This record gives sequence, C-alpha cells and structure tokens, in this order.
Amino acid sequence: MAARYDRAITVFSPDGHLFQVEYAQEAVKKGSTAVGIRGLDIVVLGVERKSVAKLQEERTVRKICALDDHVCMAFAGLTADARIIINRARVECQSHKLTVEDPVTVEYITRYIASLKQRYTQSNGRRPFGISALIVGFDDDGSPRLYQTDPSGTYHSWKANVIGRNAKTVREFLEKNYTEEAIATDKEAIKLAIRALLEVVQSGGKNIELAIIRRNQPLQIFSAKDIESQVAEIEKEKEESEKKKKKSI
Amino acid sequence: MATFFGEVVAAPSRAGMDDDEEEAAAVEREETPEDREIRRELEKKREVHILWSSKLSASTGSFTDEQFPCSKFILAIGHNAVAFLSSFVLNSGCWEAVGSVKLWNEWCRTSNTTSVLPTDAFCLFYKLISDPTVFLCQCNCYVAEDQQFQWLEKVFGCMREEDLQVTILSTCPVTDYKTPESTLTLPSPFLKALKTKEFKETVSCPLLEQPNIVQGLPSAVLSYCQVWQIPAVLYQCYTDVIKLDTVTIEAFKPVLSSKNLKSLVKDMSKSTEILKKLVTTNEIHNNIYT
Repeated sequence: MAARYDRAITVFSPDGHLFQVEYAQEAVKKGSTAVGIRGLDIVVLGVERKSVAKLQEERTVRKICALDDHVCMAFAGLTADARIIINRARVECQSHKLTVEDPVTVEYITRYIASLKQRYTQSNGRRPFGISALIVGFDDDGSPRLYQTDPSGTYHSWKANVIGRNAKTVREFLEKNYTEEAIATDKEAIKLAIRALLEVVQSGGKNIELAIIRRNQPLQIFSAKDIESQVAEIEKEKEESEKKKKKSI
Repeated sequence: MATFFGEVVAAPSRAGMDDDEEEAAAVEREETPEDREIRRELEKKREVHILWSSKLSASTGSFTDEQFPCSKFILAIGHNAVAFLSSFVLNSGCWEAVGSVKLWNEWCRTSNTTSVLPTDAFCLFYKLISDPTVFLCQCNCYVAEDQQFQWLEKVFGCMREEDLQVTILSTCPVTDYKTPESTLTLPSPFLKALKTKEFKETVSCPLLEQPNIVQGLPSAVLSYCQVWQIPAVLYQCYTDVIKLDTVTIEAFKPVLSSKNLKSLVKDMSKSTEILKKLVTTNEIHNNIYT
C-alpha cells in the first residue's frame, strides 16, 4: 500500500500518512546520537562523535553549531540538509537583531527552523529535510531553554531529549535519571549528559563531544581532556556505588 | 471479415493456425548459431564453481564421490550474519578455510582465493579442526536466483547428509516485515525463526508468523532441506539498518544458546574487539549522515 503513496510529498495516503515525512524521520535515525539537557543555570549538548577517516580533517566534522552568541544547536541526520538549515537560521538571527534590535529568543529561532521544515513538507517536488535538531540557549530573561524539531516541522520544549541512533535507549535512561538532584548544579547536569551518552557510545569518552551554555556566557566546547576527566570521575562513582551495593548485600 | 475501409483482414480463428503462419512463427523462434553461442557463453559465465582445498580431502580421509561427512553446517548469509560468525564463532575455536565459491552475476563477482578483505564479496567454507564434520559457510555475496540451485547442488552434493543439521543466519529489512502493529513500535532488530519438519530441537526465538515469507538464498537452502528431510533452522534478523551494524549483529546472540552452536563458542572475550574493528572499517567512509 505504501508504495503508491510515498513518491510525491504532497500526497496523503488513505490512512492519513505522509510517508516521505516518516521516511525522513528514518534518515534521522541514521545520524549519531545527540542529547540535550536543560539544567537550572546551564544547558548542555552532548553528541556522539563520528569516527573520521584517517586523512580527514577532524574539525570539519561538527555536530554542534552556534546559531548566535546565546543559542546553539546539535543535529542528527543528513549532513548537507543540516548545513542549509544552520545557514538560514544564522542569517535569521542576525536579521532579527538588526530589525528589532533584540537577540532572538530560543523559541523564535526554533519556530523559524520548524516553519522552514514544514514548508518543505507541503511543496511539490521538494523532499523534507532529513534532520532533527536540538536547540538550546538562554532567553533575555535568563531562562534556559531546550527545544527539539523534527522533519515534519513540529517543535516542542523539553527538559531533556535525545535524537539520532539509539535515541530510545538514551531516552529511557533520561526518564529514569533526570531528577531534581541530577540537575541541581551545573556539574551534575554535565555529568548526566555524559552518563546518558555512555549508555550507547562505544569506546567511551574518546567519542563524545560536549558543549555548554551558561547564563550570560558564550558557547563553551569542552576539550577532549576535560571530557576524559569527567568520564573517569563518572566511572569512579559507578565503581564506588557498586562496591556499596555489594557490601549491603 | 471486411473492415470499414473495405479491406479484408484475416480474423483469428479457433479452428487452428494456417500452415503459413505456423512456418513463419517457427522461423522466428529458431535460434541462430550466434544466439546459441551467446546463450552458452552466458550460462558458462554464470556457473557456480566451488573450489575445495586439498587440505579437505586429506583430513577427512577417502570417501566415495568426494563426499565428506558433515554433522553440522552453519551458514551465514549477508554481511551482518557473516560478521556475527566472525566475531563470536570463528575466533573462539580453531577453524581452517577449506573452500571458496567462485561466481559471477550482475551484482557481484567473487574470487577463488580464501584470503579476502572483510569488504570484499566472498563465499568461504571453514572446517573445525577439532571436529572435521563441522562446517561453516560465510556468504556475503549475492547469489542470483538462477544460480541458487547450482549453489545448493554443488554444496550439498559434497556433503554426506546422514545426521546433518543445518543452521542458517540471515538478515532482512524490517520494512519487509508484515504485521498488524505499526512498524514504528517494532523493537528492531529482532530475531524470527523458520524450521523444517525434521528439526525437532527448541528454537532460540519466536517463529516467523504468516504472511511473512523468506526470500533468496536462505529460502533456497531451507526449501532444499525440507525436500530432502534434513533438519534445518533459519534465524532471520529483521533490522532497520542495511549496512554493517553492531546492534544488528548482537541481535543474533540468542542463537549462541542453540544446541548446534553452543558447543562451538568457547571464548567470547575477543568478540567485542573483532566486532568493533569490522564495523569501523565499514563506517568511516560514509559522510552523508552525521
């Protein structure tokens, strides 16, 4: 049945599906995992770094990009589609600043990206964007925000979310472990993001990239050394809690 | 009958064709020598050749018609199943390569060497040194429909089928899985099994439900075993990733507890390492998704 309704994006199937949009969501699952956590005074984006070919410049493979000084995003899915969206969003951020003399709110730029994506689900001859994005930042009033968009053009605000490969596993981990204590401090929020990624990332800290935004501060990308030290701390805590469990038994 | 323009047209009759028409048709159907030559060459090109190494006949002793005794035959079809056997079975015992299949079709060409890269298309046979009746085949090349029967005849023709048990591992896209539930909620990858009538052992996963069918080489092997009353089981992994992927490969793990494979897996410590190596060589060059 699907075969007759998945060619043209503008056609609904008899049971109300837009197959191209659903297939675009499958393309998102092919990208590596990206997790976003909203803390009290911090927002954290952690991504699984893809292994680069030997002759490839590592710094040109980036999953976390700044859209403005106070907003950044991570994506999962088709790299080329992400590049187009990021460029459009960056231009929109500056255009907004010039026109209304205020930086964009996180919700505004998310809505812009989502509207852009939705337009491509209703035009003839164009396929949807094959990416989901996690957009984080602080609004002017100082509140931290985390939004997620998907290829259909919907967007929602989240306390914590995951996109990409193995998203289900990591989301289950977050549902269990995202508590008031887990995000009480900046450090704890960062640790939660790393712990979530370690659930699915092979070979540990080497393949994790982390970025944070603190209130009134620009985007900060963690160095590999910092991530390794965090991972070592987490593993130590895990060992200690396991020892405690064994003792209590 | 006369048409509107007055000409007479011969109407088709159920009385039978005229002799003239029959002759004309026969001339058309007749092949020229060139046609026959081309057809012969194409058939020759598409022949399946199995090259057994000399080690095989030496170690199994002399048997009539070059048939060797086989108690267990494990066949992996597709690169995920092949990688599963490489990481979990081939490394935890002593296996030697005893044969390879040389074939050509529009999708792939295999060579007749046993030293191949993991990224090549190949079909290799291995024998367990400690028990020469246990055979394993890794087939990650595409065997075309017209070549499957030849493959079956030549492979099973070399085996003595008394006490033979066959295990087949393969993968299939989850989009081909027919179920009343929504495919978005399916816990892919997942394993389903299909067995022949003679297979009496317990199966390590649920059986494949109707109206799902199995296609390609796995179904050819299973059908052959059903016809010749050989106990055989096929473990098909439905996955949403068509390339080499660790999650899909690990979905085959329940098969390790089956009677046929349990005794073959002794040392799983190096399996993660080998698996990682196999997957990273494949993954690095794909830049479309980030």
